[in-house]
Amino acid sequence: MPDFPEWLEVILRSLILMVVLFTITKILGSKQLSQMNVFEYVTGVVLGGIVAIHTFDPNSHIIYAIIAMLIWFFVPYAVQKIALKSKVFRNFTYGKSTVFIQDGKIMEDNLKKQGYSTDDLLEKLRDKDVFLATDVEFAVLEPDGTLNVLPKRENRPLTAKDLGIKLAPQKEPQTVIMDGKVLYESLANLNLNLAWLETELEKLNVSIENVFLGQADTDGQLYVDLFDDTIAVPSPNEKPLLLATMKKCQADLELFALATENPQSKTLYQTNSKKLQAAIDKIEKYLN
Amino acid sequence: MTVGSEVKGCYASVKNIEATLQILANKAQDVDSQQAFNEAQQIISEVKESLNQQVIHLTREEPQYNK
Repeated sequence: MPDFPEWLEVILRSLILMVVLFTITKILGSKQLSQMNVFEYVTGVVLGGIVAIHTFDPNSHIIYAIIAMLIWFFVPYAVQKIALKSKVFRNFTYGKSTVFIQDGKIMEDNLKKQGYSTDDLLEKLRDKDVFLATDVEFAVLEPDGTLNVLPKRENRPLTAKDLGIKLAPQKEPQTVIMDGKVLYESLANLNLNLAWLETELEKLNVSIENVFLGQADTDGQLYVDLFDDTIAVPSPNEKPLLLATMKKCQADLELFALATENPQSKTLYQTNSKKLQAAIDKIEKYLN
Repeated sequence: MTVGSEVKGCYASVKNIEATLQILANKAQDVDSQQAFNEAQQIISEVKESLNQQVIHLTREEPQYNK
């Protein structure tokens, strides 16, 4: 293209190839470099190379660059799609995971097959905060080179399930105020509206403009952080207060039952005290 | 305080509990918690009714309240 100054052509080529490259990478999906398998890694490098060569060389045909890029796009794309369908194909292209430790015993053969020395294994285990190999029940090397570790039952972190504590399900809280502005969409996600928000803020005695960040949970409790850090904001206390009142009433009824001499009243207080206890048991997990 | 006024105080608290439970049941998004609050509210309203009867009964026994 002789009527073009060459520098202009370089600019044009750069822009065109940039658009093509970014579109392709977008379609192929974005993964962190460390999470890529060999296939994706090679594809990325080659695509980058093609673009790099053809951007600043005015003698090469840009159409060649685009053809090459399309091939390097379509083949990996097809591989991706087939791998989604076929387990055998996936094992071939993406690799399989290897069990390193099973039932607390290290599989020396698998270690050797993957080219891992004992030091490598110990290093990977330390990465997962395991310093004693016998603490591990099961460990598996994923195709991308990370080691996932299942510690033995007694070495796992204690959970509410282990302690037999019942917890209410909790959904994600929504951010309803950001930098003093109301986010209507997240309010709608909680089935709440501006009127509710204004009432809640009035209860806290602050105005929307003063709120740096406001979040609401699924039970409709509002937590706010103000621009002015010298003002103290009360945290929601409706639920703890309710639980405390219920417990107090229950205790009161028990006291009445002990104090009265009338047998009829005594049974009345006792049944009601029991009912209250049942109600407390029912909702206590939702109030914590 | 007499027993009568103490029971009355407790009755008032129970009413408060019932109302708070109603609010929480309406505000809750999650079906399980909504149901739990509603069930608890039902129990509490039974308690409330029975205490109400007791308050009336005690008022009759303590004639100074009838004036």
